[in-house]
Amino acid sequence: MSRIRSNYEKSFRARFLRYIMGEDELPEKDYMPDFRKQIDIEKEEDEKATEHYLVPPLEDPMSDAKRYAEMSGLRWFRRLYSVMAVLLCIAISALLIYNVTFMPRFGADDSPMNNEVTERYLEKAGEETGTVNVVTGLILQYRGFDTFGETHVLFIATIAVMILLKMKKKDKPEEAVGEPVGGDVILRTIARVLVPLIFLFGFYVLVNGHLSPGGGFSGGAVIGAGLILHSAAFGFSATARFFDEKIYDIIKVGSLVLYSMLIIYYLFTGANDIDSIVPLGKLGNIISSGLILPINILVGAEVACTMYAFYSLFRKGGI
Amino acid sequence: MSGWVLFGVVAILIVCGLAVTAIAAFGLFKFRFALNRMHAAAMADTLGIMLILCGLIVATGLHFASLKLALIIVLLWCAGPVSSHLLAGFEVATSSKFKENCESDTDPGKDGKEE
Repeated sequence: MSRIRSNYEKSFRARFLRYIMGEDELPEKDYMPDFRKQIDIEKEEDEKATEHYLVPPLEDPMSDAKRYAEMSGLRWFRRLYSVMAVLLCIAISALLIYNVTFMPRFGADDSPMNNEVTERYLEKAGEETGTVNVVTGLILQYRGFDTFGETHVLFIATIAVMILLKMKKKDKPEEAVGEPVGGDVILRTIARVLVPLIFLFGFYVLVNGHLSPGGGFSGGAVIGAGLILHSAAFGFSATARFFDEKIYDIIKVGSLVLYSMLIIYYLFTGANDIDSIVPLGKLGNIISSGLILPINILVGAEVACTMYAFYSLFRKGGI
Repeated sequence: MSGWVLFGVVAILIVCGLAVTAIAAFGLFKFRFALNRMHAAAMADTLGIMLILCGLIVATGLHFASLKLALIIVLLWCAGPVSSHLLAGFEVATSSKFKENCESDTDPGKDGKEE
């Protein structure tokens, strides 16, 4: 006969079961009707307030004939406006369709994009960068400088949004304004199932970036979407338990600094024709292709932080 | 022979899915009130996508790709209805003409009796 352990409540199994079942109780009422009532009250108050300021309408100084003439001008303008809008749409569509006829046929071998550059990438990418997915090898090694700039653009965009929207600490609410704490029951139940799967899939896309379609930007976007779903379902305070402003700062700045250091090493060795100390490994293995795997993970962390920061800053003015 | 049967099944599934999606798109523009429009759009979200993806699963056969397609169906069936539920909730909470739009001739409902 089995016996319940004395510290069963704290064990991993009990905590996991509580997480699956939902730790907190259901709310007594659905929040929507309450929310609606609140809006009705506000509207009534508005109507009461405007009653005092109502002024009896003045006599119309314009004569009927004059007003009719003005109205007819307006009607004529509206008719002309709709006709001209349709004509303009047709003209622009015709122009675009006419231009399409000059394009090379899809997949034609004599089209200008099938030149020696594409050929060289497809033939040499596996051996030079160690990636099966040539696109990742292309954006992280051949055009590494470009991707480096893009990641900085993300960082600067977040800073710009922070300058505009970030509130002072004392003004910042714990939750988004006008939102019930905890969110909707149905949303929470689904999020409890989906959020771990979304994180897992995002990490899979990140780590497999050099082997299959994916990479830093797409995997980071998936993880950021998972973070957004978590905070929408359980509230910002629940997300702050594992992802608050301090951790956000560490991940965002740390990943960008590490990425910069790695890319400087890349550029230095590439420009001086020195062999990199990181081996490329066997083509097709998970741990292969040199620095591309860590760079993918760092870019993913950067993108995930950016997405969550945008959502959080627009919703409540802080992270 | 079996190839033709397979092709027929795939074609029927995909054409049914496209028809459902087309009806949903028609309803989306035909109805006036937001909740009615969402009711129409939900068909494309669930049934239309399921039929099309089932057709693709039959077309690819038992393969790793067909497992991924099945997972897409599961994910969309989880995510789509929940998002339309949230949208409908906000429509109910914020629409100023909610009661007028929800009245019907056959069933006056609770709101109708009160007035």
